[in-house]
Formats: sequence, C-alpha cells, structure tokens
Amino acid sequence: MKSTLKNPYVYAMFVLPTLLLYCLFFIYPMASSSFYAFTDWNGLEDYKFIGFDNFTTAFNDPDFRNAIVNNMYFILFSVFIQVPLIIFFAILVGHVKRFQGFYKTTVFIPSILSTSVIGILWGFIYEPEIGPLNKLLSVFGIDPIYWLADTKWAMFAVLATNAWQWMGFYIVLVLAAILAIPREVNEAAEIDGASGRQRALLITVPLIRPIISVVIMLSIAGAMRVVDIILVMTKGGPVGSTEVMASYLVNEAMGVDPNYGFGTAISLIIFAFALVLTALYQLTLGRNQGGND
Amino acid sequence: MKKSIYLGITLILAASTVLSACGDKSDKSSTETDKTQTATTTDTTEKTDTPAKTEDTPKKEEAEPFTVSLRHIQVSDAQKFRKAILDDVVKKTEADVPGLTIELDGVEDQVNRFTKLPAEMAAGNPPKIFDLFGGAGDALKYAKAGRLLDLTPIIAELGIGDKFLNLNQFTLDGKVYGLPIGGSTEGFFYSKPLFEKYGIKEPTTWDELEAAADTLSKNKITPFAMGSKGAWVPNMLVNTLIGRYAGPEAIDGFPAGSQAWNSPEVVAAFSKYQEWEKKGYFTKGELGLEYADMLNQFVTGKAGMMFDGSWRSSVFKDQAQAGDLTNQVGFFTMPGVPNGKGNQLAVNGNYSNGYGFSADLKPEELTAVKAFIKNMYSEEMQLRGLLEDGLLPSMKLSDESIAKVEDPIVKQVMQILGNSGGAFSHFDSTVASDVYKESESQIQKLIAGKSSAQEVADAMQKVQEKALAAAK
Repeated sequence: MKSTLKNPYVYAMFVLPTLLLYCLFFIYPMASSSFYAFTDWNGLEDYKFIGFDNFTTAFNDPDFRNAIVNNMYFILFSVFIQVPLIIFFAILVGHVKRFQGFYKTTVFIPSILSTSVIGILWGFIYEPEIGPLNKLLSVFGIDPIYWLADTKWAMFAVLATNAWQWMGFYIVLVLAAILAIPREVNEAAEIDGASGRQRALLITVPLIRPIISVVIMLSIAGAMRVVDIILVMTKGGPVGSTEVMASYLVNEAMGVDPNYGFGTAISLIIFAFALVLTALYQLTLGRNQGGND
Repeated sequence: MKKSIYLGITLILAASTVLSACGDKSDKSSTETDKTQTATTTDTTEKTDTPAKTEDTPKKEEAEPFTVSLRHIQVSDAQKFRKAILDDVVKKTEADVPGLTIELDGVEDQVNRFTKLPAEMAAGNPPKIFDLFGGAGDALKYAKAGRLLDLTPIIAELGIGDKFLNLNQFTLDGKVYGLPIGGSTEGFFYSKPLFEKYGIKEPTTWDELEAAADTLSKNKITPFAMGSKGAWVPNMLVNTLIGRYAGPEAIDGFPAGSQAWNSPEVVAAFSKYQEWEKKGYFTKGELGLEYADMLNQFVTGKAGMMFDGSWRSSVFKDQAQAGDLTNQVGFFTMPGVPNGKGNQLAVNGNYSNGYGFSADLKPEELTAVKAFIKNMYSEEMQLRGLLEDGLLPSMKLSDESIAKVEDPIVKQVMQILGNSGGAFSHFDSTVASDVYKESESQIQKLIAGKSSAQEVADAMQKVQEKALAAAK
C-alpha cells in the first residue's frame, strides 16, 4: 500500500479523468476556437485563413476603440467610486448596534436577483415619462432626462445599475473582514480618544487591506467581462454609447451579419486585456497591500 | 504484483467514472423518447379514424408517431390573428398526416431572425419548419449554404407554383427556397381624431404632409411616433424616402452597383430624415424605445402619425389593442417628393416574410412539410389572413374573394397598391447583410446627431463597395 502511494503514476491515474475532462471541455474548445480567430468563418460557408486581419480590423474600428474606453469607465467607476462606497457602507453596517442582520440581508438582496430582473426593474426607474427618478427630479424643476436613450446619460445609468447590483456582495465580503477584527483593538483606540472617523480610517481600513485588495481585483475582472446588464438594458446603444468589448463581441459574432471568426478574435483580445490588467494590479498595488499575510 | 492490482483497480475506477457519465445520458434520452411517445399516442388514437390522405405515408397499419418542429414569430398580442391561422393550419396538417405532432416554438421576430436562426444554421440544426425572411441576407444566404429545402418540385406537385405574386426574394438560380406568407407595403398610419381636431386632411402631396407635421408639432403632438432602439424601424422610413428621392430602381441598384449610396439623391433622402429629426418630428427619446413602444405612442394619442408596415392594420380594429383609436385610423402612402427621381407613385411592396424548411428531412417529415405547405398556402388561408389579419395576400386571389374585404385600411392599402405604378422592395432584402448592418448603425448615428447625412451616405457607400468587391 505504502509503496503504491509513493508511485507517482498512481497519482497521475487519479488526476487523469479530471484532466481529460478539463482538456475536453476547456483546453480543446479554447485552442480550437483560437484557431477560428484567424479565419473569416461566418458559421455557414467555408472559411479561409486570414492571419491577423480580424485583430487589425478590430483595432481600426472606432466602435471597438470606443468599447475599450467604455470598459475603462467601468473599471474606473468600480475602483474609485464603488470600492470607497463599499468600504463606507461596510463600516457603517459593521458598527451598527441593532438590526445588523437586517442590514446585512438588505444590502445583499440585489446580488441574488438575476441581471435580467435588475435590468428591467431599473428600466422602469429610468422611464422618462412616468419613471420614479424623473418624477423625483421634476419636483426640483428638472426637465425629464432620457436616461437610457440619451448618449450623454446612458453610460452613467448603466454604471449606477451595475454598482447597485454588485455592491451588496462586496459589502458582505468586507463586512466579514471588519467583524473579524478583534474588538480589543477598537476598544483600545477608543480609550486613547480616537474619534469614530479616526478609528475607521486608521484602524479598520488598514486591517482589512487584504480583503480590499481582493475586492478591487474582482471589480477589475468583473468590469472587464461585464455584458449581461448592458444587453438587457441598452444592447450597447444608443449609438454605441454603452458598448463594451463583450457586448461588441455579441453584436458582431451574432446578429445581423454574423462573423464567428471576428467574434473569436474579440474574445481573445478581451482575455488578453483582462489578463494584463489583473497581472499589472497584482504586481504593483495588489502585492504591497496583501503582502503581509 | 500488488502494485499492478492497485493500478488496475484505479484504472477501472477511472474508466467507470467516465463511462457512467455516458450511461446516464443514454438512460435519459431513452426516457425522453418514452415521454414523446406517450405524448403522441393520444394524438394517433384520435387520428386513426381519419383516412390517410397523403400517399407516401409509411404503409403500416398504425403510423409511427413522430414530431416536426415549427418555429414561428407570432408571439405578441398584435399577432394573435396570425397565430390563430397558424394554429388551424397546424391542426389540419396533424390530422392529414398520421402520427404527426407539430411542436410549436414561438420566438420573437428579431431574436429569431438575427440570433437564433443564424446560430442554428451555423450548427446545422434548424427547426424543420421555420419563419424565414427572403433576400440576400437571409433565405438566399442559407440556400447557398445548402441549408434550405428546394421547394420547386413540391409547389409544382401541389399546383401552386404559379399562384404566387412574387417569389423573387426566395429564388436562387431558378429554385424556390421559401414561400412568403403575405405581402405588405409601408406607409403612414394617421389618427383621424387628431387630424380632425387640428383641421388637417389626409395629405396627398409632400407639402401637405410637412404642413400636417408642422401643425401637430406646434400643438405639442409628436408628428411621427418612432421607436429606434431596433434600427430596422427607422430604416423603413429611410427606405421609402430613398425610393422617392432616388427612384424605385435605387433599391435594387445598390447591390447591383448601379446606384451609389452617396449620390446626391440618396443623400437628399438622408437629409430629409435628419431635417425632420432636428425639427423634433419624431418621438423624444426614440433611441430607447422599441418597436412596440412606437405603437403605444400612436395609440395613446401622443403622436399623430406613424410610419409602419400594412401588417399593423389589424391592431386598429381590435378594441383591446387600439382602445379609443379603434377604427379611427387612416393610411396613406408617402406622397411624391419635389424633384424626386423616377416614378413617384411607386410604393414599397414586400413579399419577404414566410416559411422556409430544413434541407435535412426524413421521408415522413417531408410528407409533413408537404401537407403543411398545402394547408398554409391555400386560397382559404390567404383570404383569412387578408380578412382577419389585414395581411395582403402573397398569392393570387379570385375577385370574389377580394370583394369580401371590408376593413377600410386594408381596402385602402389594396387600392394604393392597385393604383401604384410599380413596387420597390426594402433594401434589407436586396443588399448584403454587412451593408444592411452598417445601415442600422448609421441611421442611429444620424438620429443621435453624431453623423451628417453626407457622412452616413459615405459610410454606406464604403461598405457597399467592399461588399461588391467581395462578391466578384
């Protein structure tokens, strides 16, 4: 028995089925579809090998460059607006004395709703004529804003909805870290005369840095692959103002003039972008913050 | 020795893990077939007393139950009349073919046309019978790839080959690959109460049309309801504007290379659209509104006119959908434009939506398809479509059939078609799909004020030239 377990082939044997399945359902499709990125396959007719044409077409297309910029908006919005808000709310909920369970559940609810439901729900909120948001604004004498139909506002409207959907999930993550901080630390600071704000900024935040780092990384990765909320709410419109890379992929690969080869090329580009961005973050800020554990 | 035993056991374990997955699957599929069988037996028992009408059904005492999938797009309330006709055809076909169960699969038009069907065509597993659009981007593309059933022998056998008014958009190299269910023309619907209120009469000239729009606009009524989230909606109006400014020949001229998108007359059409846009003639926030919202704008009296296909007419005789506007809607075709090229009386005429059939059919499925065609493309059903649904027939009807039409809008539409000096298609069925796709993105840019008419026309021409070069 012992000698069997020392035999590396036995371990290989146990891993083999999983590896086979992994190859069959992940490596093989990835590799074979990467091949299509270099063809002009439209799904119906015979394809031919066209080298890097799909990639140059993508980067020469102003609509795609616009989609990259929109993805950057998503990243900036989530890192610089969403994350501070998440920490703020987490600290708030963390220090609340009564009904903490109620608050925890409430903030978490949006993340268990399906994106389609959220998209339609917020579609009502943004409705220009009878939507509650414009009704509220009209009290202050503001003309109706065509949230999802105006190229100036559509992106903001989608960003806000997306933030609303995901903040709760991250708040609960951060909250867990906050509640794990030993009570003594805070009590000691309080005795030393630290104000609530000082305790939050100088005690709590530094102590939950590792989890913040994870939240930021997840936010970046999430912002890179965001697509569902956009397809439900605006389909990338109006006039490409909310188009992100993944929705561009969907609109190009499927739709009026399907081009699967081109779509695959876009997916590879998205993959490369996400990889580089998360790697960059890990190598720079992420390592400093999480390095102590 | 021991080692090899363990190795052997591990191997067996591993193999059984993998194989058990396969076993599961086959179990499942067998229960599925059981299910379909039990589901269809009730139908067959019902049908045994009806004599088999078709000759080539399996010569067994009891027919083997089988199912044929049918994809349709009659999913919204506005299409309930069309759905009722389809249901009757399905019932009749099931009665005609022993053992047949038709499985209906309703999918929204745009989703089916631009997402689901293309993906199924790519994978090679479309439904056996499906809603299909004619033209270069749809039927002809699939026909070229060998995905569609050649219907030429079938319609010859059924004797309906020469009954169709126009099969151009489904014909490739002399073979027919799809059958239009009806015809349509696109024009202006207007609200009679609103026109009366502001003293406007049905426009017959271009000046009257623009004056009507101006009057409505001054009275805080949107002249034209519009929902441009799906760009094909504004493209209907663009198409007819092009037909007027650049002449009816222009629509076929684009793919032939004889008409440039950036010629002054086509630019004039885009400019007119932009002018109306700037004057605020269309619904505010139209880029966030769907096709159905356009109808709502019109029916609720927020807009005085709506440019739409004649297929919408049945809505206006249905109290549940049209409300106060029931039987209060008129229809007129776009008047001739000043300095327009070509025949200014020509109207848009489409025979582009119908049914196509998978090329991959088993013999019994082919029998079902034949029976479906026989039942669907009959004078009876065409007349029902005309009377109940306001859909213009795609087949020649006898005069006494046509005399039965009472719906004022349908009458008017048929009169307009009769008086027209010819018809032009919609460019969505004549140009290649990449050109059409560009037109969708360009018209939205025009609406949002991001591109001028000239820029739109230039961009269109660029893609058209690329498509022409690729076709050579």
